[in-house]
Parts: sequence; C-alpha cells; structure tokens
Amino acid sequence: MIERPWFKHYEKQVPHSLTYPEIPIYQFLIDTTAKHPDYTAITFNALHMTYKELNERVNRFAQALRKSGVGPGDRIAFLLVNSPTYVIAFFAVLKLGSIVVNLSVGIQGEELIHSLNNSGAEIVITLDLFAQNIYQVIKKTGVKRIILHSVFGLEKQIPRDEGTPQPQLFLDLLASSPSSEEPLARVSSGDVAVLQYTSGTTGTPKAATLTHANIGASVLQSERWVGIEGEGNASVICIIPFFHVFGMSACLLISVLKGYRMLILPRMDLMDILSLLETIGTYRPLSFPAVPTLWAAIVSLPPEVARSRLESIQVATSGGAPLPGWVQERFEELTGRKIAEAYGLSEASSATHFTPFPHGGPSGSIGLPLPDTDARIMDIETGLKECGIGEIGELVVKGPQIMQGYWNNEAMTAAALRNGWLYTRDLARMDQDGFFYLVDRKDDLIISSGFNIYPSQIEAILERHPKIKEVAVIAIPDRLKGQAVMAVIALKEGQAGDKEEFFRYCQENMPDYRVPKIILLRQEIPRDPAGKILKKVLRETIKPV
Amino acid sequence: MKKILQELKKKIVEELQLEEVNPDELADDTSLFDGGLGLVSVDLLALVVLIDRDYGVEIFSRELGEKVFINLSTLAEYIEKNRKKDEDQ
Repeated sequence: MIERPWFKHYEKQVPHSLTYPEIPIYQFLIDTTAKHPDYTAITFNALHMTYKELNERVNRFAQALRKSGVGPGDRIAFLLVNSPTYVIAFFAVLKLGSIVVNLSVGIQGEELIHSLNNSGAEIVITLDLFAQNIYQVIKKTGVKRIILHSVFGLEKQIPRDEGTPQPQLFLDLLASSPSSEEPLARVSSGDVAVLQYTSGTTGTPKAATLTHANIGASVLQSERWVGIEGEGNASVICIIPFFHVFGMSACLLISVLKGYRMLILPRMDLMDILSLLETIGTYRPLSFPAVPTLWAAIVSLPPEVARSRLESIQVATSGGAPLPGWVQERFEELTGRKIAEAYGLSEASSATHFTPFPHGGPSGSIGLPLPDTDARIMDIETGLKECGIGEIGELVVKGPQIMQGYWNNEAMTAAALRNGWLYTRDLARMDQDGFFYLVDRKDDLIISSGFNIYPSQIEAILERHPKIKEVAVIAIPDRLKGQAVMAVIALKEGQAGDKEEFFRYCQENMPDYRVPKIILLRQEIPRDPAGKILKKVLRETIKPV
Repeated sequence: MKKILQELKKKIVEELQLEEVNPDELADDTSLFDGGLGLVSVDLLALVVLIDRDYGVEIFSRELGEKVFINLSTLAEYIEKNRKKDEDQ
C-alpha cells in the first residue's frame, strides 16, 4: 500500500488522528445547552430560540412521541425543509433511540413509496406543503401517522382518501406533551441514528445506515480540519438542506456542537436568495457552507456588495459538486481567502476529503483525506489492485465515518463495502503529495473497443471551443465496439454551429477512439440544484437513432 | 416608463440567455417567475446585479423584492422611480 503521503500537507492545527467520544450525537445539544443555555441556537425569520428553549422543545416533542408509542429503533421519515421543526424533530427522534429517515423534499411517487417501504417508517413528519405527496402514495406504504407542521394552513385542504390517517399538527403535539424532562432512553454510539436516502446518479433510492458514532466522527473530523474558534455565539448560514449529509454535518451538527447560532433559510421560494443576502448583512456569519452554483451567484454580485457580504465569513466551504476554478479565483480576489472544498458522500456521513484550510490545495483537487480516513485508488476492473501515483482508478475510502451498509439491501452493501473499504464508484487519481482529483463517475466510464474513455477528458476539450457553452459526454450502445461516445452540446447565446464543425474539432484535438460517434446540439444540459450534470436524465431522454 | 420597460425586456432576455424569447413579444405584465419567464433563484440574483449595475437601483432585501419582482411592469416602475444612473451611463 502507498503510505499516506497526505499527512505532510496537513495544516498545523490538524492531528493525524482524533479521539472520538462514545456518545450519541444528541449529547452535543445537551452539552451545549448546559454550557451556554442563553446562546441563540436558531434564528428563523423573526423567531429567535436559545439553546435552553430548543432543548426544552426537543424534550417536549420526544415525550409526546414516546407517549404515543414511539420507541428505540422505530424509523421516522422526515420530509422537511430547513426549519426549527426539523431541528426539534431531529434531536427528539434521536433522544428516543429512534431513527431519522432523511428524505429529500422533492421525492414523490415510486421513489417515495420505495423509500418508505424499504425503511419501514410508520410515521412521517412533514410540512402541509408536501403532505399531498405522502397522501397520494400512503395506501401503498406502511405509514400510519402523519405529523404536519402547518406553514400555510393547508392541512384542511389536503385531498385524503377514506381510511387514511388524519394529520396531527406538530404544534398541537408539542403543546400536549406531558413534560420537558430529558427522555433518558438508553442509546449507545453504535446505534443507528439516520437512514440517509440517496438515489446517487443511477438506480432506485437506497439508504446509507449511519450510526451515532459514524455521524459524530464525521462532525469532529470536519470541525478539527477547519479548526476555527468563533467568538462566543458566532453564526452559521444554514441554507444547505439538513436532509443532505453536507447540511446535516456542516450546518446543523457543527453549529450545535460549537454553540453557534443557526441562521436557518428554508429555500422555500425564489425570494430566499434575497433573504440570504439580508441575513448575511445583518448577522455577519462566521461560516457559510454552500454549493458551487450559490457561490458562483454570490461572487458575481457587484464587487462592493459581494465584499460587504463576504467580509465576516472566515469559513467558506463548498460541497455537492466540483467548484469551478473561476469561482475560487473570484472569491480570493474579493476576500483574500479561499473556499475550502469538501468531497463526501451520503455513505460517509458527509466528508472524506477536504482541501487544506485555510491555505487551499492544487487547482482541481478535492483535497486530502481527513484524519483517520484512508483512501486508495483501485483498478477499475477488479477493484483488487492498488493503482500507482497518477493512475486513474476507483476511489475507495475507509474511516470511522463510513456507513454500516445499505438498509435492508445486502446485495448493494456487499458491492459497496469490501473488507471495510467503501467503493465510491467515483473515478479518481492521487498525486505524489496525496492530493486526490476526481475524474468521473465509474458509471459514466465508457468502454469502447477495449479503451477506457473518461467523459471528462472529452468534455474538457470541447468546453474550450469558443462556441460551446456546456457539454456532456455519455455512452451509447454500439454493436461492434460495445459502447461508443455521444456528446451533447449546448451553444453559447447567439452562436451557430453545425455538427460537422465539432466533429472536425474533435478529430484535430483528440485520439480517434475518443472522437464522438454522435454529436447532438441541445439548448441546455440538465443539471441538479448543486450544478451537477444529470447524465442519468440525458441517458433516459436521449434515444439516438 | 415605456422606454425602460422595452430596454428591460431586452436586457433580461440577453443577460439571462432566455433562448426562444423575443423581447418585443413580451407583454408588460409578464410574470418574472412561474407562468411567465420562469426565472429560478440564481437568475433572480443575476437580475438584481443587472439592475444595480445598469440603473444604480439596489434591491437586496426580501421585503422589497416581493413588491418589485412581480412582473416586468412593476420592476420597470420601481426602477424609474429610484434610478441613480442616467440613461447615457
């Protein structure tokens, strides 16, 4: 095995190994409440809640759930945007030894049915806005109770079939709670805390089974990596969804661990982007975790506006998709600081790699493995042979933050976890200094006439063409070669071009085996909210003749 | 206001790269979001930047945004009343 060359590039404040207390993650809340009861925990529109008030509400909700029969190991599905309700319900469920089933609020139909049935959740906590999605599928699931937080007063207008349960109102439950005492359930750090549903870039949703120990380790690793001690009750922008591991770790749990004020922004509507600018101006946050598209928008603001909004932010982090180089450069011009990039996945509770903070890493790198995290590049075909420096292979990772497996899915667990290593299905390389670079998704790799073709290599060349705005390269079946290359191109505004021109350009700039067999011109390339190109959607929607 | 409105239609279509939208065919009361131009949140930020850069009008608060970003006409009206930059600038 290649010895861990990354250690020599760790910043001074980061130890190679950490000690992880064997505690459930809600202990962060109990400890912070004991130390700083009057610190503000949550600011949400005009609502401000101290840690003491938050912990009391968490206990009330936990006691109300317990009274209605909820206990250790029960799965409770969350279909919630960032809100005080999410925070209260999250810690309440965990304090009972029950399990949070984290679902994306956009999920509906078959995916929702599958996730609810796979998890075995009998209770769903949601907003009135999303309740209809649940009621549409409820008869095909084992859901017996729906707890609603009424934001828009829609609970009486939700179409509901006969025989389906009446929704219970979150605030009514809270008010009816018998007490605000700590529930004191027996919960150990090895117990399951969260089922994190992910559909990844392919396939049906599957749930990463994360224990308190997994999530707690992840939070401590990222917190120590950054190592900033904010003064007192510093603020953190919480706009990344808590139902995503990046938001759960960087926004929710690090804040509660450190006693920070969570500036909660739900991203319910378009105007929330303006709320974000206002919130930053008013509260001058210390930390701002965001996705690349959001960073791109913020650094494009007029320089004086951007500077004034970014002035207080000492910890700027980006995750979810690769951060474009120009965004990092612009951020540095504006602030003199760098955005720290994180690479992670649901299966790893959040991050496995981070660029060094505050000095950054080489351009295009996802950084170094976090303390106690091992990473290797293994050969693509068998996954058994370690690749050399600079060679492309599958990134595999190991560490205390890695999941226990996929919930109720032994086959997928066996494929993903081998000898304690998580096979990420991301293709990557490592340089001699131990910095890692993502190349592609393994599922996106094209094998044509025995050649391994990385779509990103073709995309990078096409993106340099002056007429091309964006491009996605995918595999298409080919009778003779097994697979062939197809490039989907979107042109810049006002540009015209024909396929022949781009074929010629490819022939002049790349080896023959990489030249696309088919080029399609499209107005735009579908992307997810984090800015990641949705190749799955392209594969499904484009049926080449 | 008519002049700003026409100018604004052109700028929005160009700056936000709204392909297949002809600025001359846009009704004055076209909504900026659902059912109209269909802008998303990052577009809204780009629009805020455009209005600040070209007219010197700052709309950096939600409260104001909710009143102004209704349709093309409400936006043009607000710009006309509050513009700091001359037409020549």
